[in-house]
Amino acid sequence: MIQVLAFYLFATLVIASAVFVIMSRNPVHSVLWLIVAFFNAAGLMVLVGAEFIAMLLVIVYVGAVAVLFLFVVMMLDIDFAELRAGFIRNFPLGIAIALVLVAELVLGIGAERAGALKLGTPDGTAAPLMDRSNIEAIGALLYSRYLFLFESAGIILLVAMIGAIVLTHRERSDTRRQNISKQVKRRPDEATINVKPEVGKGVQL
Amino acid sequence: MVDLSQYLPILIFLAIAQGLSAAFVFLPIGVAYLTGAHKPDAEKLSEYECGFPAFEDPRSQFDVRFYLVAILFIIFDLEAAFLFPWAVSLDVTGWPGWITMMIFLAELVIGFAYAWKKGALEWE
Amino acid sequence: MDFAASLSLVAPEILLSTAGLVLLLVAAWAGDGASRAISIASVAVLAACAFMVAPALCSGAMGPDTVAFSGQFRADAFASFAKLLIYAAGGAALIVAPAFFERVHAMRAEYPVLILFAVLGMGLMVSASDLLTLYIGLELNSLAAYVLAAFLRDDERSAEAGLKYFVLGALASGILLFGMSLTYGFTGTTSFEGIRAALSGTISMGALFGAIFMLAGLSFKIAAVPFHMWTPDVYEGAPTPVTTFFATAPKVAAVALSMRVTLDAFGGQVAAWQQIVIFAALASVIVGALGAIGQTNIKRLLAYSSINNVGFILIGLAAATPQGASAMLVYLAIYIAMSVGGFVAVLMLKDADGAPVEGIAEIAGLSRHRKVLAACLAMVMFSLAGIPPLFGFWGKFVVFQAAVQAGLVPLAAIGIAASVIGAFYYLKVVKVMYFDEPANVAVGKSDWAHQALLAIAALFISPLGYLLTRWLGALADKAAAALFLAA
Repeated sequence: MIQVLAFYLFATLVIASAVFVIMSRNPVHSVLWLIVAFFNAAGLMVLVGAEFIAMLLVIVYVGAVAVLFLFVVMMLDIDFAELRAGFIRNFPLGIAIALVLVAELVLGIGAERAGALKLGTPDGTAAPLMDRSNIEAIGALLYSRYLFLFESAGIILLVAMIGAIVLTHRERSDTRRQNISKQVKRRPDEATINVKPEVGKGVQL
Repeated sequence: MVDLSQYLPILIFLAIAQGLSAAFVFLPIGVAYLTGAHKPDAEKLSEYECGFPAFEDPRSQFDVRFYLVAILFIIFDLEAAFLFPWAVSLDVTGWPGWITMMIFLAELVIGFAYAWKKGALEWE
Repeated sequence: MDFAASLSLVAPEILLSTAGLVLLLVAAWAGDGASRAISIASVAVLAACAFMVAPALCSGAMGPDTVAFSGQFRADAFASFAKLLIYAAGGAALIVAPAFFERVHAMRAEYPVLILFAVLGMGLMVSASDLLTLYIGLELNSLAAYVLAAFLRDDERSAEAGLKYFVLGALASGILLFGMSLTYGFTGTTSFEGIRAALSGTISMGALFGAIFMLAGLSFKIAAVPFHMWTPDVYEGAPTPVTTFFATAPKVAAVALSMRVTLDAFGGQVAAWQQIVIFAALASVIVGALGAIGQTNIKRLLAYSSINNVGFILIGLAAATPQGASAMLVYLAIYIAMSVGGFVAVLMLKDADGAPVEGIAEIAGLSRHRKVLAACLAMVMFSLAGIPPLFGFWGKFVVFQAAVQAGLVPLAAIGIAASVIGAFYYLKVVKVMYFDEPANVAVGKSDWAHQALLAIAALFISPLGYLLTRWLGALADKAAAALFLAA
């Protein structure tokens, strides 16, 4: 009973906040609604028993991706009037995409009704872990059977890091940076000089 | 299937928190609406900035460097997320699993060293 | 699972990733001044990898001994053939880069590192025998490619190319993922072998949709019509060495991956995808030929030419026979040489200040002052058009032969007719170079590395290339046999 209630609560909130994401006039509000949607989707994931995915949604999507969206939205110089004009102009295209999505939904439901869906039988290392939580099951597969692909995924993350730095990082010549090793290496005798200026003459440093 | 009843306390907590915060937000609004005077006109609702109409959009643009910081954060965040299933399943995966994670961490540590040396973590 | 055996099979990948990581650190500490040294080291790494994969190709490795990590990775003769082409193309992209970027002070040490990681991703793609390997390889390659396309970040066209490539590429990845999840849902497995076994009877509607969405996503990556619209813009906007890379290595990887998916995973359901491939092949040949006619920029022209060539390659896939697969591989090898030759020749077109020249009108009368360059470019153009004494003809010939033997006579006939249309614009470039009034724009000197690469490519596509047909054909046959044994 409580599960059914929780499901409807989360599902309603996901849909409602998703609607607000596209209805908000202010893109910053859209991002905030998106965060609400992610949170509720995480709740749904807990309900189906996918706790790890729920945790990933909160940590990665809410914690990082939504923040990134927020930065990007605030970085852009958005002209709202123009955006709204675009909405009217692209309305037929939007309707067309919506129809395609509806068709996909119908297809998905039809496919499920046909009863042809059979899930794969977990093989090898996954089998003895069926009675344990799914985080352990995921770990047991990811770090044994799929370890090669896991390392490759690490390389993908690395390439993403290189890409971000290559494309956005600039050496700034107009700012003075603190060079700590240079500071530490500095000795008193290089930093000060002792001069005896003649009377009536200045000091040349 | 996971035992969902263990999440019941947090669900109740969330419901109460949501109810209370909604009350804190909407109660004052309602009270003010019922008790206060409410006579808006065009002059009252117009924005006021030292006697001039607003010159520009109040939202200022963020520097692209925020984006760099955010993307580096995402990458290390994901890396951390991978640590959870690894930690709880080490008894099954054993040494190969341990070595796998160490290589993965080494890959990202190299990335970190690169970012550091390049100065991507400095602000100025 | 025997880790040691698996690790020895992925040795080239391990070498590539280790070298990439080490060179990344070198790039950070030594700075951009070391770019040339890092490029040379990267070329050496690629050569070493080529030596590591060559034995598998020469011995025609196939069967269970070539399978690593419980069926996720396959290091057979087919993968080796594709990897050799990819390494060659990656090496070419590394060699031509320094001279181009140094002129605008944009040569950065990350360029060779990104190329190495992209090549690593492509190696995973051509060795994939599991949907997960497929996706990881594809993303690794694509992510590096998006960055490379925008590498000249102060150049608006380059930034636009990167953004366009990224947005459309992400969309294509989404479509591919959707197809993969449908396939997984209806077959219950991600391994190609398992998918093939699960689809041994009649194909269910859901799995059919999965196959179609996967083909759509892959068509984007190989730039086949109707998913080609990004190609001219990206090829034109990206820095020319990067375009050289895009037109060659990722194309080999994506075509080889499509072969694995269609002939291996969906190999029992040829009827389900054959019509789609036939349509994409014909549409690419025709759109590539017609689209090229009005172009004034030579990079855009070569982009349409690559669409056109992908169409001819897909004709071999439509045949769905070992002979067709072998013909595709031969075509790919020749296509790589022609593309590298074409783009290196474009890189060598510079004005007196050394700035790149890309307009077709600006190379008018090139034959008067740059005789050898004009001759090489003309040879590339004739070869792309498939005019007989040149080696480009051989690729088209084997593909059409395979199509005819598979009973696809109308397809081959339309393809031949379209290649005649295509010949028009290639000949137009030759006419402009040889018979128009000299514009005297492209008079700049070129780098010796460019000259050497162009010489090698020109030698390969010259009639001398026919000496290699027997050898190339035998290797391609071995590779195709390995692909069909896996299937």
